[in-house]
Amino acid sequence: MKRTPLTSPHPSGFDPCVSEPLRAAITVAIAVYLVGLVLSVAGNSSSGASALVRTIKGRLFSPWLVPAWLDLGFDQRLTHGATDDADHVLEIVPHDGGSEPPLRLPGGLSGARAQRWRRLAQALARPDTPDELVAAVGRAAGDELATHDVMVRVLRHEMHDRSAVDTTPGMERAFAARVRVVDGEVQLLRSEPRGEVAPLLRRPGRPALPEAAP
Amino acid sequence: MTGTTAADFSTGVAATWMRFWFEPADPRPLAVVRILAAALGLALAWSYTGDLQAWFGPQGMIPPGSGAAWRPRHSLSLYDLATTANALWVLFAITIVAFAALLVGCATRLAAVAAAILWASLLNRGPMLAGAADDCLAILLWCLAVGPCGASLSIDRWVADWRGRPRSEPSAWARISLGLLQVHASVIAAAALLAQLKGDVWWDGTAAWWLVARPESRFVDVTAAFRGSEYLLNLVSHAIVAFEAAFAAGLWFAPTKALVARTGLVAWPLLGLLAGEPAWGAALAVFCVPCAAGELRTVCNPRQGG
Repeated sequence: MKRTPLTSPHPSGFDPCVSEPLRAAITVAIAVYLVGLVLSVAGNSSSGASALVRTIKGRLFSPWLVPAWLDLGFDQRLTHGATDDADHVLEIVPHDGGSEPPLRLPGGLSGARAQRWRRLAQALARPDTPDELVAAVGRAAGDELATHDVMVRVLRHEMHDRSAVDTTPGMERAFAARVRVVDGEVQLLRSEPRGEVAPLLRRPGRPALPEAAP
Repeated sequence: MTGTTAADFSTGVAATWMRFWFEPADPRPLAVVRILAAALGLALAWSYTGDLQAWFGPQGMIPPGSGAAWRPRHSLSLYDLATTANALWVLFAITIVAFAALLVGCATRLAAVAAAILWASLLNRGPMLAGAADDCLAILLWCLAVGPCGASLSIDRWVADWRGRPRSEPSAWARISLGLLQVHASVIAAAALLAQLKGDVWWDGTAAWWLVARPESRFVDVTAAFRGSEYLLNLVSHAIVAFEAAFAAGLWFAPTKALVARTGLVAWPLLGLLAGEPAWGAALAVFCVPCAAGELRTVCNPRQGG
């Protein structure tokens, strides 16, 4: 027989182990939690959040909005077809070339372990990644390669369009930095793509380029 | 009349709320979730084993402070305290033991709390390494820690039977735990859907191509099929969106709840394989288990089930 509140062994239909005041307290806790959950989803969007949502979330919920509990974002977008969604590879080579083969990760690994290396590589390629992380990766990899001067590179697999004729697998550089240890001090030299740092110079004597038509 | 209607409505909402969260529920579905979540936890924790020292060791690639950009200042990690290689191994071994105890149901409540705290600590130690499956597992563990997940299919139960203790009754804590699982299953699917729909590829029906165009992380190569038929590609992309929308909403309606949950048991793992995130698909399938079993009462038809 299906149990309903009327056929329940307890007249009220509720567990007698959970008293009325305790039920009230749990109700409040769940209600507050659900508000926090909604704010977390709203405030963790990759599109950003409004000042109002950010403020409420930050002021009222910040002590328990921590990863692995509530503030997860849950925004698993799977893909947007962007370069960020491509597979990333971490490559470390001695700066002077050396005789050691480059350390490439995840290399031959597979499964969840390989995914974690890809995520680390992806994190390094982010423009706001702290220097401390890049330096630590370079220093630890340098120990592995028995050298104090390494190039840390993040390579990105090219993702070809469905209609692309040339589907040769290729990789492009997403990030590069030189990490060296001098007298126990770790030095980090980020390599910026030439196109982003080269000044636009006009050779003397040559006419200026015509302005583009509006 | 209006006042009476409003009063009836608020009484109905309150009654539905009380039934959904507090009416005693059978803890057996929770036990199944416990076993599956613990097995998934062991698999995901295992993926740290080979590189534990390389990442978190004293000379590791991820020093304790370097995750600050990914971590709010209030978040804590017990792994921050493991400053030597041995301490790191010991803490990691305790994490594995907690998952193993949860799997077999030994000191289950303690194991569930310990696994939840230690897993959160491990993720917080290297937040840039964590993926969607890890986050889902963290939520599963906290939900299990709330309820009596060791009340059946466990060593604890076996010992209690041997000592002649009565079998555990349906409890409100099991209901709360199952309710939290249902809420999170719906929210995770809805949030994923919202995040996806911000990208054009989910509207123009090419998203599935970009999922399988990643040569290293993909588990199945269906690029040839997608090259051959644009309609197939569009169908798969739109089907993913439609499924996620149906799942997020369908869990809350009695006629559809068991159906979408059972579909989820198959569809989430398939989507995980297609997306190169099989553990994420498996984690979401675990969320479906209680609803697929038809044990949870729904908001729209509270008399059903139980």
